[in-house]
Parts: sequence; structure tokens; C-alpha cells
Amino acid sequence: MQIAKEEIMEILQAYPQEQRYSLAILQDMQRKYNYIPREGMEALAEYLGCPLSSLYSMATFYKALSLKPKGEHIIKMCDGTACHIRGSARLRDGITRLLGIDNGETTPDGLFSLELVNCLGSCALAPVVVIDDTYYGKMTVEKLPGLLDTYRRGENT
Amino acid sequence: MKTIRICCGTGCLANGSLLVAEEFEKKISQASVDAAVECVAKRTGCHGLCEDGPIVTIMPDNICYYHVRPKDVDEILEKTIANDTPVERLLYQNEQGVKIMSQRENPFYAHQTKIALRNVGTISPDSLEDYLAADGYKALKKALTMSPEEILTEMERSGLRGRGGAGFPTGRKWRTAAGYDVFPKYVVCNGDEGDPGAFMDGSILEGDPHSVLEGMAICALAIGAEEGFLYIRDEYVHARRSIKEAIRQAEAAGILGDNIMGSGKKLHLSIVRGGGAFVCGESTALMASIEGRVGEPRAKYIRSVQKGLWDHPTVLNNVETLANVPYIILHGGASYAAVGTGGSKGTKVFAMVGKVKRTGLVEVPMGATLRELIFDIGGGIRNGRPFKAVQTGGPSGGCIPESMLDLPVDFDTLKKYGAMMGSGGMIVMDDRSCMVEVARYYVQFLCGESCGKCTPCREGLKQMLAILTDICEGRGRIEDLDLLEALGETMQEASLCALGKSAPNPVLTTLKYFRGEYEAHILEHRCPAGVCTKLTSFAIDPDKCRGCTACARACPVNAVAGTARHPHAIDAALCIRCGSCREACRFDAVYTEGRDLS
Amino acid sequence: MKITINQIPCECERGESILQIARRNGIEIPTLCWHDGFPGQGACRLCIVEVIEGGRAKIVVSCVYPVERECEVLTESEKVRRQRGMILALLRKKAPDSPEIQALCERYHAPEIERFLPETGSRCVMCGLCVKACGELSVGAIATVNRGVEKEIATPYHEPSSACVGCGSCAYVCPAGAIPVQEMEDVRIIWGKTFSLVHCQDCGRVIGTAEELAAAAKKSGQEPDTLCADCRKKMIALSFRHTYGEIHR
Repeated sequence: MQIAKEEIMEILQAYPQEQRYSLAILQDMQRKYNYIPREGMEALAEYLGCPLSSLYSMATFYKALSLKPKGEHIIKMCDGTACHIRGSARLRDGITRLLGIDNGETTPDGLFSLELVNCLGSCALAPVVVIDDTYYGKMTVEKLPGLLDTYRRGENT
Repeated sequence: MKTIRICCGTGCLANGSLLVAEEFEKKISQASVDAAVECVAKRTGCHGLCEDGPIVTIMPDNICYYHVRPKDVDEILEKTIANDTPVERLLYQNEQGVKIMSQRENPFYAHQTKIALRNVGTISPDSLEDYLAADGYKALKKALTMSPEEILTEMERSGLRGRGGAGFPTGRKWRTAAGYDVFPKYVVCNGDEGDPGAFMDGSILEGDPHSVLEGMAICALAIGAEEGFLYIRDEYVHARRSIKEAIRQAEAAGILGDNIMGSGKKLHLSIVRGGGAFVCGESTALMASIEGRVGEPRAKYIRSVQKGLWDHPTVLNNVETLANVPYIILHGGASYAAVGTGGSKGTKVFAMVGKVKRTGLVEVPMGATLRELIFDIGGGIRNGRPFKAVQTGGPSGGCIPESMLDLPVDFDTLKKYGAMMGSGGMIVMDDRSCMVEVARYYVQFLCGESCGKCTPCREGLKQMLAILTDICEGRGRIEDLDLLEALGETMQEASLCALGKSAPNPVLTTLKYFRGEYEAHILEHRCPAGVCTKLTSFAIDPDKCRGCTACARACPVNAVAGTARHPHAIDAALCIRCGSCREACRFDAVYTEGRDLS
Repeated sequence: MKITINQIPCECERGESILQIARRNGIEIPTLCWHDGFPGQGACRLCIVEVIEGGRAKIVVSCVYPVERECEVLTESEKVRRQRGMILALLRKKAPDSPEIQALCERYHAPEIERFLPETGSRCVMCGLCVKACGELSVGAIATVNRGVEKEIATPYHEPSSACVGCGSCAYVCPAGAIPVQEMEDVRIIWGKTFSLVHCQDCGRVIGTAEELAAAAKKSGQEPDTLCADCRKKMIALSFRHTYGEIHR
């Protein structure tokens, strides 16, 4: 993907040139591109006058940030305790079986990414799967193939 | 005038409450309701009983409906709003089959005392007017007439202790910060609620944002701060939106900003979006994150009330703590201290989840017993299975067995038994939860969430995970149990921050109270709960099986064979031991046994 | 004020760390992440000691624990030895190839635990000194990457860093010999990057990499050094002598 320098500068210039805004700026980039492009990171280092290494350190520390481009649909599998004891591991295996991807991976066709997340605060509906901000509570292995198919057919975009 | 409150907490939203709210709003605006009855639809925060959402309450009749769908809207408007008759099928049905009309009579709510959650679920979080009508910002107004000393005294009198888990006396923390003559000072709200299975703070931020802002403003007056931050977890999209709007409203109304209620005092609040790191719930790591650095904690021998954000005096309080503050200032510390136990005053909010019948958010006086929480409020275990353990305090807490269910829940009691109340997560487990696997789960969680700075936490967790994985997969050795305990001791004693110091608790408590289960894994290569796949095989008892085919339909790999109304059987070669069949079976016909590892 | 360390009375200032006081009094406390230039990281936890204050004993980390009142410090109590031994056993598992860690394990009797027996692998103990040194003395070319048990120290994207000047400060402060530096006649290879070495114009000794000297010159606003520290002193002395003449006593 070609990323325009002006676009990155627009994200940067929304904030003063202070270290305290580095996380917020990185998050804005993440939101815009679904990952942190290298160009963005380098431009930010220059903008804040800080070493690239400290930003790389942050980008690999905070799980909200990703260095790899993500798929079109992001499947967030909640593996909080409530979901865990109500069988989220089964769902995870199910997704791996159906899509061939594990946590942090993206399908070769770029359609789905799988992210294991800790707790989405909907424990009463455990186990919960969230696809692109739509919550699916009380999920079962049985329902998975049909649900994924709706995304394959583009019904939920 | 009738008010229709539609719960729009995260749980109900996930259940589709937005569609219900939109339907109500649409129908009311179309005036399809009898024009003689004035009514308004209100989107509120979490009602607590998320399990049975979307929840709709009708005021002032105090009728509460559960599992409401958009298609029910017409009927509710016609029967309840226009003609004062309840829609029977949407009411709560108790164990005796009796339909219950009001929320107060519902056993889930009957035992609760709401202070921190006083407005959550009753007011519209987007409406400053609603908050003001519920005595909102009266405490701030009162605090503006008080000296800092008077505020501090009132806070100390209340006995309020930090709700994030550590339980440090809030009044004392504020007083220490007030005592330093170094400016600027900061007030920070810790909204990085990270314990998996806990969502108390998120619900307050979402459902009653102004109460948190008011608590921060009162703190700022007491310590002399003019700037504050709310650090809110990345995942809490609704909470951030709600707080952002509340800050905007409060500033526009002159309640916050350059001239607090005309007093000439200032307070500027801003939101910092968390980066997705559990360790940032740790105060010094959170501050590092606000400063735009990697969230590593530092040694706290010098406290952050002295040197916190940018080395300036900083008070950091948890969301629930702050939500209690306006109540204390308005009603007096003594009235707050009248609730609770000797050492733990007031109430505590718990997120009760897992294998309990009624899952959701509850607030009870400190000192309520686990049994009251799980059985009286929660209704006991789902599907009639036996209770096995309750995990409190998240990854820092411990697993408590049935013999200890009558212990009061407060800051000090559970600690004596190796567990802790923690921030309020409460995960109930039945006989199909494996305690070794639960310990392994928490250790694995922490392996990814530790900041990785200090040796005992980073390396200790890594080795613990290797050992626990071995045990779960049949490679454990009996001497591993002593090693786990020795590792646990070193981590507790020598780790840098509270995350590392408390990280072994889930392992140590399960070892203490469920040692037999570890031994079964190691010595008999058997997982008594039938969870550890390497040690479990599934089978169907032909005497119990009715041939209902539920298991066959649930099996993701078609390993269950059989025809309808005849006993089914599992093909062990195909079975992936996921347990879906056991979950699906209503006749308890699927059972587990050990596996021959050779 | 006064405290005792292993029953030895020691004078100290309020707020000083126990480790500093112990060192001044010749009492040994092992540590990996402490360097006089970069004190107080509190990362390796080897320097734990037991402090008895007002009759209560607790384990503290001596490199960051400030002495605020009179107390008794034990650096070799039974508890300290047990915890320190476990920490060393964990470090040996982490950095089996480091002779320095092996030596510490022997000196402090780290327990031989079958599960933690060393395999081959890295030498890094994640003490963080290299990152400190690079950030504060040099250019900040390396930092911690990832978190939790996966945490490591690396250059951005694990590629040769464009910022690195090859000064070698990181390798110099490393207590475990974990940062490989190859130095040949005219080149130094570190962090996967090759630097050309500059030799002293007078004596021919290596004075640094060209990039390092250029970076230092940029900071000070002067021309890059061409002489080693000794020869530069000699040169200054000569010019002083030329200006002021020989001093006769």
C-alpha cells in the first residue's frame, strides 16, 4: 500500500510535538491504516525528535497497535475468564479449523484476521465473538461456519 | 408522564438493545401511542442482569421486562404505556414459576445496596439534566463551600478504600498529596479495568460518567490540582464516548473548566486511551503510559502521591472509588461508614460471571458472604450442576472452594486465605471447570501481559507456564508441585510490582485447595473435570442416552454417530475432545474418562 | 544517620539506597542491572536484602530502596539466599551461555533444579543496561521490543539501525557478555552493522568509529577527533608549554 506523506502529516499535526502524545498518535495511525506503517513510525520519530527505537518499543508493547496489516474483517475472540470457562478455547480451535489461522494471523486471501482479546466486558453473554464491532454472544462451534459465511458473502459489510 | 428506560450497557447492546431503543423512539415520535399518555424513551447504562438483556423498565410503574425484542415494542406501548397492563411473557419468572413485576422484587436485585451504581441504569448517561436531577454535582457545590481540610476529614471519616484492589485508604492518599507544596498536581482516574471477567468500571463510565467527573473534581479541590486525566481501556469504546460527551457537557455548563461553578477554581480533564496492556492498571505503569512511554512500572518505595506524573504529586483513583466520592461528600462520611464491616466500609460492585445462573453486575455491602452473592443473588449454578470454586480478584486473586463460601467478602478476609477481593471480578465455576487448567489459563494470560522488566515475574511466569502445560498434557511430575510453590514464593517476594507479586496466587490457591486435582493429572493422567484434552476421552452412556441427536448436531467434526431415538456413540479416532457434545446433552449421558497416554 | 548491614554499623544519608551504602562500606551485594552510571533500575532483583524496621522484616530491592529511618539490613539471610538462588536459577535458564551468570550461580549457590538445567541459548538477562547506555550516552538505537516473556532487546524492525553509530557502549556495560562485537583491523561489526574504525593520527590506536566521532562532533559543535585521549592530552600539554614556557620549580 502506498501511503501519502501528507496523510501521515495530517495525523501528526493534530497533536503538539510532545512525547506524551506518542501513544495517541500511534493509535490514530492504527485506526486509519489498520496497522502502523513504517513510514508513519519514521515520520513520527522525526516529528517528536525521539529515537525510532522508542516508538518501535511502544508499538510492540501495546497490543492495540500492530505492525502487520490486518484482514478486511477482524474476528476478536474473547478469551476472558468468563468466556474461557464457557468454552472459548473450543471456538478458537473451531476458527483455526475453519480458516487455518491462529491468534494474530490473517487468512491468505486477506479476508479475516483472528485476534484473541482478554475481556470485552460482556461476560454475561460468554463466550463472545466480535467481528468488526458486532457482538455475537453465546457463540457455539456449531454456529461458526454459518456466521463466517455471511461475511464471506459480504452480507455484513 | 411515563419513562421507558432501555438498557444500553455493553451487555445489552451486544444483545441488540439499540434496535429496541430505536424502535421505541420511532414509535413514540410517530405518536402511535395514545396521545393521552405522555411518555419518553431513555437510553440508560447497565441494569446489571446482563444475562437476561435487553432490559426495559417502565417508570413510575416500575415494571421490568427482559429479553425484549423490537417486535415487542408495539405490545409494550399498547398494553403497559397506554393501558397500565403488564406484558406477562416479558416479565421475570422466579424459580417457583411466579412472574415478577418490579425490579426490586427480583431476587437478583432484592439483596443489593446501590451507592456506586446509584444512577447506573436509571439515568441517561448522555443527559446532564438527568444527572443534575439525581442530585448530581450537588456534592461538588457543597465541596466548594468546604475547606480542603474539611473535605479530607469527611473522606477519612467515610473509611473509603481504593476499589481497584489494593484497598489503600482514599482519604489518606488525598491527604498525603495535599501535603506536598509542589505544583502542578494531578488527579488521575484509573479506568484501565483489565481483569478478565470484570466490567464494573466500564459500566460506571458508560452509565454514570458525571459521577466519576464529580469525584475527580472534588479530589482536585482537596489536593489543589487543576489538571486531570482519565485513562480508559482501549476496548471500552462506549465508555470513552460517554466520558468524552460528559466532559464536554460539564465544561459547557461551567461545572468544569476554567471557572468551576463560578468559584474561580480550575479543572481541566482529558481522556487518555489505553494501549491494550493489562499492566497499565498498575499505577506507575499507567503514568508511564500517559507520559507517552512503554508501560513499565517502577519501584514504589517513593509513592506516586509524592512523585507521580512527570514527577509531580498525583492522586490516582479507580473509577468505582471516584463514583463513591460525591455520595460521601453529599451525605457525610459517617453515613457511608455505616454500611459495610469494621475494616471495609461501604459497598462493593462485583461482576459475577461464569457458571452462575444469573450473571451480571451486583453491588452489595462489604462483608456479604460469597454464598449470599452466588446463591441468593446469582441463583446458584446453571443447569443444576454442583458448585466447585469461585475465582475472585482476577489474575491476582485466588480460587476459593466450597468450604469457604461463608467467608465475608471484604479487603482483609480473603487475603488471609491466599485469595483477594480484588477489583470485583467473580468467576463461578462448576465441576466441569478444571482447576489446573484455570491456573494455567491465568499464568498464560500473565505471560503475555507482564511488562517483562523484572526477572521473577518474567522468567518465573515462563517456567510456571511450562510446568502447568506439562501437567495438563500428562507430562507432569509430582515434584513439580513443590517447585511451583517455591517459584511462587520468589515471585511474591521479589517481583517489582503488584502484578508480579500476585501473579502466583491462582496457582498457589488451586494447589492449596485442589491439590488432589493436580495429583490426578500427574499420577493418574486423568483430568477429573474432563477439560484437559490430552487427558480426556469422551463417551456416551447408552443407558442415559435418549437419542435426541443434540450431541451429533453440536459436534464440529461429525464424530458422533447414531440414529434418532437410539443411543449414540462417539468415534474416538475422529473426536477432537472439544466437549461440545457434553455441553449439548440434556440427559447427562456424555461422560469423560482418562486416556491411555501410551 | 546510622544503619547496620550484617551487624556492621554504616553511616549514611537519608534517602540513599541500601546498595550504595553497602558498596561504600565494602559489603558485597550481587547485582546485574546496576551500573554506577545508570543506577536504580530495579530490574534483575538479585540485590534483594532483608530489612528489619521497627521489628518487622521485609524483603526489599536494595538498589532502589531508600533508607528513611534506622534499620537493620541482612544481605545473606536464609530467606534472601533462597529467593536469590531461585532468581539465579531462572537467569541461568534464560542465559545458559553466559559464563558470568554461571559464575554467579556458583558463588551464590543457586539450586540445581532439574527443570531449570541450562540448555544452550542466549546470554541476555534483560537487565536493560544496554538500552540505558545507548539512550543516555549515545543515540537510542536499541530498545526493548515486545513485552512479557517475549520481551527482548533489539533495533527497530530487527534491522541494522540507521541511528546506531557503533560506539559499543551497550556491549561495554553488558554484565553477561551478551552483545557480540567483532573488531577487525579497520572495521567493527555490532548489531548487524559494519563501521569503519578511525585510528589516532599519532599513535595509531583505535579511537572509535567514524560515525561515533561525527556524532560526538555534531553534539559539541567541533571538528571530529583525530587523536586518542592520551595523544590529545599530550598535544594540549605541548601547546601549553609553547605558550607559557617550561615551569621551573
